[in-house]
Amino acid sequence: MVGRDADNRILVGGAAAAFCVLIVATLVVKGSTGLQWIMSGMTVGSIYALIAMGFSVIYSSTHVINFAQGEFSMLGGVLMFSLVTRGHLPTWLGFIIAVLIVTAIGAGLERVAIRPMRNHSVISVIIVTIGLAIALRATAKWIWGTDPVRVTAFSSGTRVKILGAYLPPQSFWVFGFAAVAVVLVFLFFNRTLLGKGMRAAAMNPDAASLVGVSSSTSSLVAWTIAAALGSAAGIVIAPIILPSFSSGAMLGLKGFSAAVVGGLGSAPGAVVGGLVLGVLETITAGVLPTGYKDAIAFLLLILVLLVRPQGLLGRAEDVKV
Amino acid sequence: MNDDPVLLDIDGVTKRFGGLAALKDVSFTVSRGEIKALIGPNGAGKTTLFDVLTGILRPTTGRVALKGEIVLGLRPDQITDLGMIRTFQTIQLFEGMTVLENAMVGCHSRTSAGFVSCGFLMPWALGEEKLIRREATRTLEEVGLETRASEIGTNLPYGQQRMLELARALASQPDILLLDEPAAGLNQYETGELSGLLTRLRDKGLTILIVEHDMGLVMDISDEVVVLDYGEVIARGTPEVVQNDPRVIEAYLGIEAE
Amino acid sequence: MDRSGVKKRLLGLDREYGILLVIVAFIFTVPLWSRPIPGSVLHMDIVNIMCLAGTYACAVLGLNLLVGYAGQISLGHAAFFGIGAYTTAILCTRLTWYPTWLGVLSGMVLAGVIGWLVGVPVLRLKGHYLAMATLGLGEIAFILFTQLKWLTGGTVGVLNIPPLSVFGFAFDSDLKFYYLVWAVVALILLFSVNLIRSRVGRGLRALHSSEIAADAMGVPTAHYKIRVFVLSTVLAGLGGAFFAHFQRYINPETFILSLSILFVTMVVVGGMGDIWGGLVGVIFLAFLPPVIQALPEWIPGIPEGLTNFGNYQLILYGILLIVFMMFLPRGIAHGLERGAAFTNRRYRLLADHVKARKYE
Repeated sequence: MVGRDADNRILVGGAAAAFCVLIVATLVVKGSTGLQWIMSGMTVGSIYALIAMGFSVIYSSTHVINFAQGEFSMLGGVLMFSLVTRGHLPTWLGFIIAVLIVTAIGAGLERVAIRPMRNHSVISVIIVTIGLAIALRATAKWIWGTDPVRVTAFSSGTRVKILGAYLPPQSFWVFGFAAVAVVLVFLFFNRTLLGKGMRAAAMNPDAASLVGVSSSTSSLVAWTIAAALGSAAGIVIAPIILPSFSSGAMLGLKGFSAAVVGGLGSAPGAVVGGLVLGVLETITAGVLPTGYKDAIAFLLLILVLLVRPQGLLGRAEDVKV
Repeated sequence: MNDDPVLLDIDGVTKRFGGLAALKDVSFTVSRGEIKALIGPNGAGKTTLFDVLTGILRPTTGRVALKGEIVLGLRPDQITDLGMIRTFQTIQLFEGMTVLENAMVGCHSRTSAGFVSCGFLMPWALGEEKLIRREATRTLEEVGLETRASEIGTNLPYGQQRMLELARALASQPDILLLDEPAAGLNQYETGELSGLLTRLRDKGLTILIVEHDMGLVMDISDEVVVLDYGEVIARGTPEVVQNDPRVIEAYLGIEAE
Repeated sequence: MDRSGVKKRLLGLDREYGILLVIVAFIFTVPLWSRPIPGSVLHMDIVNIMCLAGTYACAVLGLNLLVGYAGQISLGHAAFFGIGAYTTAILCTRLTWYPTWLGVLSGMVLAGVIGWLVGVPVLRLKGHYLAMATLGLGEIAFILFTQLKWLTGGTVGVLNIPPLSVFGFAFDSDLKFYYLVWAVVALILLFSVNLIRSRVGRGLRALHSSEIAADAMGVPTAHYKIRVFVLSTVLAGLGGAFFAHFQRYINPETFILSLSILFVTMVVVGGMGDIWGGLVGVIFLAFLPPVIQALPEWIPGIPEGLTNFGNYQLILYGILLIVFMMFLPRGIAHGLERGAAFTNRRYRLLADHVKARKYE
């Protein structure tokens, strides 16, 4: 066992080193264009990270893979369009209202559709989340139509130039929100009684009653957090990606890949997985025909599952090799 | 055929879980045609040893040979194929399967029809199926369950479920049978039946290694007893010798006598 | 599940073969009564829908064995379906001499080989890792179908695929294809029934019940899982190849995650691990969308706004999926069986009651 631990450390270290070499090589070969790629990659990577955290939070408390996760982001984006671009609310107010609406939807769906399934098999619950995704997407198509919507950027102004790379101001909003969200989630799971109880319950379900957090509360809180994270991600990225009813699917899949790559159930893993995925994607898009950009996430997903199924930062407990 | 009288050779098996040693340098042999009992207080490592022997756990160090062949590192099903099969402390009958079907699963290691020949009902698969049915029925007769063949296994009364587990293992025509507390939960009458059955099987040439808490049964049927305490072999010998060993009395029988 | 212990018989055959015979007889008669009647409520083309359902059934029956016995789900079976479809489509359109039946066979083999390459490493792991890996595989397959333009025709896909023909007989109409695909589905059902009742089937059922005990009884559980997975990918390849020869054109848009999800949903809604469950799920979900679409015409007095409400179908579909999982978590097939047992019991109670009155 000791040998395998060491092997694993070498593996993760090697992967980290290879990634760094790739970054440096990109910067050296492509100069400011390379920096441009990496910065854009980090922008979209931050979004993947937030969505991945949503997957992880729900997975670790219920062992369910939530196929409606991407739809939370989609809803956040299109709601922002209605509230701010069409409704002319101030950005901050629109943001808060959109997040609140999506969070309420997430919590409500948990109570209505997920909670009654508590004694059913995980596969059945996963099918229910698929049903939710289909219904949410169809509802959004009905309300907002099929065309992508253009959401006003949070702050006006032209691109910012850093060392020859140009970044839209929205990127800084993305970084800022992602950082705040990660810190908030960290504080919740490490500093509050409820969060600590949920973590303990996730590690050992039998201990759930001992720490005073019922699986019902745990599941509700997990869905609430996941919906909040997903919608916030969808809102801040909206001015960059032009959201539409169908944009949730790909965001969800990328977030899922990022979560598995980092280690499903690990919050730091989700952040690392998201950023790595985002950067690798933009570099690939720069080097290969753009059609292959989306393949990176899934190649990485399969590669990680074959080599290190618990993910880069995941614990190896429930994995038999 | 190997004529070595030693069938199962356990040599220096140690198993650590983290820092805790569940088995410490356990060595003993089981000879052909004997009933050997493995006894010891709860937590002495008996079931752990069974798990190591049958390939569920991998020992930290040590060597296990069956008929002169090293079995460590083999998968559980491969070890069963070699002729060593076990029963479980908690009954593990297959859900939704009839008594006969449970016993038929036991024939798995003696048969070979694969997905394609089974799915397309190839003649050899059908022939094998007949053979399996006959063999499974025979073992059910051996344990006295032939009249309940078409009932669902998990619906049987407890004692009969134990017997079915035994029949399922016997259906594989093993060289050595590992029994993990087969008398647990049986009433006196059923234990007597079991004792008779095991002796009969031994007389037919089957080798048995049995973990059991029922001392009456152990002393009754075993040719030799190995005593395990805190993962270590503390005594071995005929039932009489072990019964009078002061270390055994202290570690095990002594506790019972209190 | 049969818990009485008495071997049930149907039509003088063992129960499973009896059910199979009933199903075959029913399928044979469908085209006789299902001609679309213009103006009536039954104006959907049932044979055409059943043709498509038949191609799905090939994939779903295999997937059902995987979910029901190996306890694993695959979220990438659309990829294997697509591999089967593209293999035969490309071979039969590029090489005009290539026999279509050999194309179907090639599709099955390629799907199986790729399934094996993925299954061997991933199935060593516990949990839903197969689901994650196959999901990734499905997305990659879709991207390759779209991007390898020189091979797959990109987003346009492959056009003018010849109909399937065997020894000069072309299955070039819906009706001919209907009988072909459902005869094959019946064979797959027969194969599944044989398999489940055999040595291997007992091993699989043992594996499903307790992996450790199955291992100890000499069932090579790891190998069985891989074989069931490969079998399911071969059958998905078969379904996809049939699909290509039925539609006569294919493009990547078919082989997306939604199709993989549809397959899994068919298994779960029908009843996992129940051979008939897969079949029930396929037929139910194949007819659900056209029925939902036709719904406003059937129910008079539905407000105009609702009939024109563009996506109410998908919303309803999503909600129905959730409701079905909530109330029939073990599938429709199981629900039907329980319903039948219930009415049976009520009938018997009633009969006893009548008898008792008679002798009063």
